[in-house]
Amino acid sequence: MSATAPVARPPRPRTPGGLVGTLASTDHKVVGAGIFVTAFGFFLAAGVLALLMRSELAQPGLQVVSEEGYNQLFTIHGSTMFYLFATPIALAAGIYLVPLQIGAARVAWPRLALAGWWLTIMGGLSMWSGFLTQQGAADVGWYAYPPLSDMPNSPTIGTDYWIFGVILAAVAGMLLAASVLATIVKLRAPGMTMLRLPVFAWTQVVSCLMVLTAFPALIVAMALLFAQRQLGGVLTTPEGPIAYQHLFWFFGHPVVYVVFFPFLGAVAEAIATFSGRRWFGYRPFVISLLLFAALSMSVWGHHMFTTEAVKNTYFSLTSTALLVPAGIEYFDALATMWRGRIRLRVPMLFALGFLVLFLIGGTTGIWIGSPALDYHDTDSYFIVAHFHYTLFGGSVMGLFTAIYLWWPKVTGTMLRERLGRWHFWLTMVGMNLTFFPMFFLGEQGMARRVADYPRSAGWTTLNTLSTIGSGVIALSLLVFLLNVAVSLTRRVPAGPDPWGGHSLEWATSSPPPPHNFDALPPVRSFAPLLDRREAEQDRGDARGAVA
Amino acid sequence: MTDTRREFDQVAGLYLPIGVAVVVVIVALVVVMALRYRVRDGEQEPGDDGPGGRRRPSRIADAPRAEALYAAVLVCIAALLVWRTFSTEAREDHPRAAATATIDVTAARWHWRFDYRGTGVTQLGGDRTPPTLVVPAAQPVRFTLVSIDVIHAFWIPARRFKRDANPGASSSFELIFPTTGFWRDGGECSEFCGLRHAQMRFDVDVRTPAAYAAWLRQRRAAAGAVGAAGAAG
Ligand code: HEM
Ligand SMILES: [Cu+2]
Ligand SMILES: [Cu+2]
Repeated sequence: MSATAPVARPPRPRTPGGLVGTLASTDHKVVGAGIFVTAFGFFLAAGVLALLMRSELAQPGLQVVSEEGYNQLFTIHGSTMFYLFATPIALAAGIYLVPLQIGAARVAWPRLALAGWWLTIMGGLSMWSGFLTQQGAADVGWYAYPPLSDMPNSPTIGTDYWIFGVILAAVAGMLLAASVLATIVKLRAPGMTMLRLPVFAWTQVVSCLMVLTAFPALIVAMALLFAQRQLGGVLTTPEGPIAYQHLFWFFGHPVVYVVFFPFLGAVAEAIATFSGRRWFGYRPFVISLLLFAALSMSVWGHHMFTTEAVKNTYFSLTSTALLVPAGIEYFDALATMWRGRIRLRVPMLFALGFLVLFLIGGTTGIWIGSPALDYHDTDSYFIVAHFHYTLFGGSVMGLFTAIYLWWPKVTGTMLRERLGRWHFWLTMVGMNLTFFPMFFLGEQGMARRVADYPRSAGWTTLNTLSTIGSGVIALSLLVFLLNVAVSLTRRVPAGPDPWGGHSLEWATSSPPPPHNFDALPPVRSFAPLLDRREAEQDRGDARGAVA
Repeated sequence: MTDTRREFDQVAGLYLPIGVAVVVVIVALVVVMALRYRVRDGEQEPGDDGPGGRRRPSRIADAPRAEALYAAVLVCIAALLVWRTFSTEAREDHPRAAATATIDVTAARWHWRFDYRGTGVTQLGGDRTPPTLVVPAAQPVRFTLVSIDVIHAFWIPARRFKRDANPGASSSFELIFPTTGFWRDGGECSEFCGLRHAQMRFDVDVRTPAAYAAWLRQRRAAAGAVGAAGAAG
């Protein structure tokens, strides 16, 4: 530890312990972990709803739930996955990790981050409390198009609770994004220029920018919808519903990138670490990320190809152009592995799984970016398959990459390798078994959001396979929870840097102290710890040559 | 006149091979890299698990030329796809042929209604039976589409085509049905519209132009008879 600069240690805040202390903490690690665990709970809850849907669809006929029930299930499943799971968990990772990666002792505006946690919880309670009302939870789909979502067609109070829930969750997302972004702008360690930010931190930058520009449109859409429901005369036909669709998808497309980029960042960190190589092509990568984000703010109309209300060719052009930045990301990932020294540990397995599964989501995305193809596939099971390959294959695989990679840092103990491998392979099998058949179902004409389908259609076998696959996913999650339980009860101490990490979070103890760092190594690139290791190696070589 | 299914197949004929090739090549590269450069068991002595073990990883960290070249290839692929899509789009969005029949489609929760313009013929379903859309084969058919309540979508999977039915604004398009045949549940609503969305279907019956004309005459006569009976009563 020769080349380290001491860091001023801020006074340690005196906080009460226990639940109150946790819920009132301004330590970014407590807040980040708290949001993370909350959001993961919502993931499991929404997963249970998915299992219910899949068991209903295993066979033709209605066996498990009614049509009303099914409509509530997919609405709350989709909404929970986006608003209460994917967005908060992606930003929670930023709240926890970004200060550690940039050598800061805290986040900027920790109370905003804390408020983000509270609002996420309240939004979730509001959205799910619909299940306790007589007519049940919202049943208008996660994008709640008017006039279907208007009062005369959907008079249930659950829909109003859902609107409140979405608004609260959207505000929470903006507060978290503001806090992460301000941290990166204001609190970087000496020497940490913007072009020395670790890759994960850069992905947080673009995600936060997108949250701050796209989420206001969602809040406006929800406010207008609420006003229409209560007062009327706001979203009147024929223009009102189309205006709503524009507002919604101006948020709705970018959000899928918001919940993708940070996990791409985690995957990049894992690939670099477990290849023992610097992330390849850092500058082109950063530029392509920014291009990616800008482009993805201009593709929302591809959700409206069949409305006749948008210029289809324009949105087809921008959507297809997305393959350029996405292709650059793949180039950098593969080039990082090239001539590396690859250790196939569990985080690396999930990172490779991400590359494979997201690829299918991405290529099918280019497919439906062509109106001639989308006219057939939109609103069919093809779409359900496509977006689960991006959201499960991309975001969730990336999430597990992040969890296995940073678990030792956060908890100070290791997850088990064998259970992790079981988790990984069960996920790969279950994921493909669940969602691949859906491509064929969609091509054959099965519409999405149906509780039932005719036996004569010949879709039973594929649907049964898909349902079996969802059971395998459930099993894989049980294995993961077992791994967590084993890891926390029979602790295997991790030490500060179990993987040979590249960025600053691996230069402090696991878990980090409240002030994060006692001392910081010098920052001369985006991989300061790798720099140090390589320099030591060179010195060793020089000594060897002299002797 | 464009055959929407042929357009779909033609565009798919370019997109599918490229997409499959991309997936196969990249998955193969991922697997090959992971196996080729992985640390083998023999190499992995205790304490050797970290980087900087025996075999040193490469330190090359970028290749701007190669990457720029690769980006140019990506741009070319995107341009090819966009060009193919645009040429189809121009044909699908600006149909030129004169249609032989015009059918006004009305969507309502959770039914379809087909009015054969200028004939007084209407196709409606029963309480639990879907209506049948009868069309002539191999002739362009013009549709207008409107909803009287929420948004629905008119989808005929065999034609690879759908269009939203918006309340208060009608939209129009042309379809061609090349071969005769009967498709049970050959059309469906694909925009979620509430409780019975899954049941909002119709059958598709494509007849030879002669059979279609005969059917229309017969339906007109029946409608006339009903009208006359109503007037008499
Ligand atoms: C855990 C495994 C999962 C399974 C088995 C699953 C299954 C399903 C099923 C069966 C549907 C309903 C299809 C329909 O009737 O139209 C659905 C819809 C949806 N899912 Fe998932 N899903 C899973 C994970 C996820 C994840 C991780 C996300 C997002 C991060 C997600 C987001 C959505 C969305 C947005 C919808 C659309 C809801 C709507 O139509 O309003 N799902 N999912
Ligand atoms: Cu989109
Ligand atoms: Cu419908």
